[in-house]
Amino acid sequence: MTLATKSGTWGIRGPSESMFAVLVRIILIALFDVGVIWFVSNAFAKGFTQLGIVLIVIALMINAIFLLQKAYPYRWMAIGLSFLILFTIYPMLFTFYVAFTNYGDGHLLTKEQALPLILQEKYLPEEGKSFSWTAYRADDGKYALWLVDPSGATFLARQDETVIPAQPGDPGIGEPDGKGIPQSIEGYTRLNTLLAAADKTLPTVLFGAEGEQTVQIRSPSAAAELQQRYIYDEAADAVIDQSNGDIYNNVEGTFATKDGKTIRPGFRTTIGWKNFQDFLTNPALRGPMVRILLWNFIFPTVSVLSTFFLGLGIAIMFNDKDFPFKKIIRTFLLIPYTIPGLISIIIWRGMMNPEFGIINRTIENWFGIDGPPWTVEAIWAQTAILLVNLWLGYPYMMLVCSGALQSIPADLYEAATVDGASVWAKFRKITLPLLLVAVGPLLIASYVFNFNNFNLIYLFISGGPPIAGASTQAGHTDILLSYVYKLAFESGGRGVQYGLASAISIVIFIIVGAMTLFQFRFTNMWEEVSENV
Amino acid sequence: MFRRTALVLLIVIVAAFALAACGGGAAEPTAAPTQAPAAATNTPVPAATNTPVPAPTNTPVPAATDTPVPAAAPAGTLRVWADDTRAPILQALAPDFLAAYNIELVVELRSAIRDDFQVAAPVGEGPDIIVIAHDQAGTLVENGLLAEVDLGDKADMFLDIAKGACTFDGVLYCMPYATENMAFFRNTDLAPDAPATWDDVLTTGQALIGEGKTTYVMAVTGTTYDAYPLFTAFGGYIFGKDAAGNWNPEDLGVDSEGMVAGVKFLADGVAAGTLPKDWDWANNHALFETGEVPYIMAGPWALDRIRASGVSYAISNFPAGPAGEGAPFAGTQGFFINGLSDNVLLAQAFLTEFVATDEVMTALYEAGGRPSAYIPTLEATDDPDLAAFGEAGANATMMPAIAAMGSVWGNWNDAVVLARDAKQTPEEAMADAGVKIRSLISGAAAGMVNVPGSYQAAAGCPGDWQPDCEATAMTKGDDGLWTSGPFALAAGDYECKVAMDGGWALNYGVDGKKDGDNYKFSLAAAGEVSFVYDPNTNLLTINVP
Repeated sequence: MTLATKSGTWGIRGPSESMFAVLVRIILIALFDVGVIWFVSNAFAKGFTQLGIVLIVIALMINAIFLLQKAYPYRWMAIGLSFLILFTIYPMLFTFYVAFTNYGDGHLLTKEQALPLILQEKYLPEEGKSFSWTAYRADDGKYALWLVDPSGATFLARQDETVIPAQPGDPGIGEPDGKGIPQSIEGYTRLNTLLAAADKTLPTVLFGAEGEQTVQIRSPSAAAELQQRYIYDEAADAVIDQSNGDIYNNVEGTFATKDGKTIRPGFRTTIGWKNFQDFLTNPALRGPMVRILLWNFIFPTVSVLSTFFLGLGIAIMFNDKDFPFKKIIRTFLLIPYTIPGLISIIIWRGMMNPEFGIINRTIENWFGIDGPPWTVEAIWAQTAILLVNLWLGYPYMMLVCSGALQSIPADLYEAATVDGASVWAKFRKITLPLLLVAVGPLLIASYVFNFNNFNLIYLFISGGPPIAGASTQAGHTDILLSYVYKLAFESGGRGVQYGLASAISIVIFIIVGAMTLFQFRFTNMWEEVSENV
Repeated sequence: MFRRTALVLLIVIVAAFALAACGGGAAEPTAAPTQAPAAATNTPVPAATNTPVPAPTNTPVPAATDTPVPAAAPAGTLRVWADDTRAPILQALAPDFLAAYNIELVVELRSAIRDDFQVAAPVGEGPDIIVIAHDQAGTLVENGLLAEVDLGDKADMFLDIAKGACTFDGVLYCMPYATENMAFFRNTDLAPDAPATWDDVLTTGQALIGEGKTTYVMAVTGTTYDAYPLFTAFGGYIFGKDAAGNWNPEDLGVDSEGMVAGVKFLADGVAAGTLPKDWDWANNHALFETGEVPYIMAGPWALDRIRASGVSYAISNFPAGPAGEGAPFAGTQGFFINGLSDNVLLAQAFLTEFVATDEVMTALYEAGGRPSAYIPTLEATDDPDLAAFGEAGANATMMPAIAAMGSVWGNWNDAVVLARDAKQTPEEAMADAGVKIRSLISGAAAGMVNVPGSYQAAAGCPGDWQPDCEATAMTKGDDGLWTSGPFALAAGDYECKVAMDGGWALNYGVDGKKDGDNYKFSLAAAGEVSFVYDPNTNLLTINVP
């Protein structure tokens, strides 16, 4: 960077900076670092390793930029760069990472989150007893429990003291209330269930002396001689069920025994190329891929061409200075662009309903024939989608073309007129080539946008009508993205599968990227732009 | 959804950045409760008068008869997420609850409760209690986000079918408060009598069309859930149940004869022009409400609009078909507890001690417009329409909430659409759907029969006990028996089992018993072992030298 080398020292202090300013700067950065360290340590503790790493990278970058004099010019970009890393680069890397994991329903938690859940599970040994309980609290915060077992025998259980059989009216124990529960216990105040339950630590309190019978509260109606069910063997990465000695090994993010018993929940873990493999080889996922891909190319191509030529046609008409009521008509023509697509797509869906829609009703009333089966027949559904997209998309092209037409010098047309060129020749030889220079990149952008135009496809008829005899749930107007959505989020079997979705979105990314590159290369778009600018 | 998680995280980070930049290390990404509780400011509620305090099993409220709420900090806080119907009712209870127990109840109104919860709970931001329908709970249970609910001695006060709905693997995960199912509506001006069978529906409906009074025999509001009571009348079902009463994903009924017959009934109607070609929910409701059709199957959620339309209607049980009276799907609304909350005990106590009372349950019933799952309230119900819904749902099937159900909906819908639009015969369409759903449920190794065991590593597998290992997969012979091997094994003792579809979900042990004991075999000297499996008896024969 030329800027940096001018003032370029590696020192901390700027050429005309006071010591005080330097100090303030260092203190502010130190405070920032404290915040980052706190946040990063939290991220690591909860298992969000990737996020933690990205934050460290950003923090190091910010530190360097604000400390080193040489990096001075970057200070103006520091925030932008941080956000670039956080919002663009990190999500991309995260998508790549997720593509190689089993992240999804059943494996939603990180291992750090799932293990404590598994370990907190309790079980009641066969000889263990269960009681109903009433809690009492001493002033020092210790608790006592009055226990009644199913046979009606009553016990007094205190912390760190042996559980003893007791009766209301015994020394230190008050008289029974209507249900036979003592109204008071000496040194303790009786609590109602809700008040007792408000203490979050109560379920973890062990009643009874260590090494003897202990009782724990498991629910508002029951306390029992509970034992911890699972213990975790870190060396073997296995969980052992203490109730029967079963060993659960970590198998791809699920603790499972040899003979197939599993513990819920599973957790997130990397599983290699499995998601890609599944998508490419599993007949339950692959489906009518060729057909979907074909439509996925036809849809954006036809959409871009139709919207472009309609928009261009209107723009050329309006380019004529003498066109009457130009402004009002142009305003009306812009309306589709101003209504949110979300709403207009749904309105179109209603209007194109083959039986109840206004379009077919009108056709029926005026001509006495049935209207086209818009959402039922494949070819009509595809036509309907293209028509709706034409309606949604032409105002944009009209705007863009209007602007570009203004920039074509009028003397070119005058010269052509002098040479005796026809209107068509002028359009083909002057307008179109000069227009494409300006609009070309936008057409490619529009193509890429429509390639992944999930909104339209999904809101219109969810990719329907269904393809008869397909090996997966796929429709005639499904594009790759809507198909993947159905697969990974709706019907893909076991709920939502982020891992699979990420893997497929990477495949789409590669397709779109390759296509865009191809288009830019072979249309020489950039070269012409640079020549003409 | 990871994007949403990421977004939440990112926003928090940015907030932390901003805070860290100006305030230094004090950044705390705790989401403040969106709705402030109706706290002590305006509520000196005399607890004794209008609090539905439960029967005084324990020492009640510490002398709160006419003193205002103690100024001391509440002993605890409970956060609840509920939708726009339930939230105001629970919110109204908050002052009473605070007065009675000095525990703050924070009710937050949410629309996408399940999805938000799925994101918030794992990062410790979830509420203590959520109010959702039982069929949304299946994935939450699978993800380990819900806690067991113990109704204690109040268990008997709830409908068994409602409790059954949110019982997964024998564990109860909710306190139900309402059930909902569809019922059969008729326009009493057009069809004064309730039809006993689907044939009656056809006869009456066609007569009305003949008289020029109506357009169609019946409105059809959907392909799957909405048409289910018709499918069941013909013997259709989705999943069978195993001996223990749990849903059995292996027993799929989408392509059963009854389901095909039900779909055929509808497809024939469309072909004959007696049923609408389009089954859009709103359009078909409009048909009924404008008197263009005499019959419709509708749920309690449509009651308000049907009442508002002014059509004279009556609600009855579903007509019968060859397999008996049609049975709707039933759903249960319930309170579920966040398993990752540190307030599980308090949340349980709140539900059993405070919500499971006549007053609260009645308030919930009155606002929700669904039959109560709480028996005392249900018995006191005097709305004839809701009573009729209850009767129509007496034989209802609880909507399966197992994960496999996710594979069913879309494919089931597509198949019915294909049959309706005459793109395929009902038989073809439903058979296709069956194949698709089965392969989704069992994954890549669908149809695989394998003998996982302690010999597999020696037989060329990456390890032992791998039900999806190709090297030991069996092949089916012309005699219908599956065989594998021979495998050259060293001397020693081995164990094995038969497993289907590359997983352990369906496996057979000794004596062909499902989930039975392992087979054992020993080799005195190194030799070759082969296996034969008989799918009719589920028995495995082990040929040792």
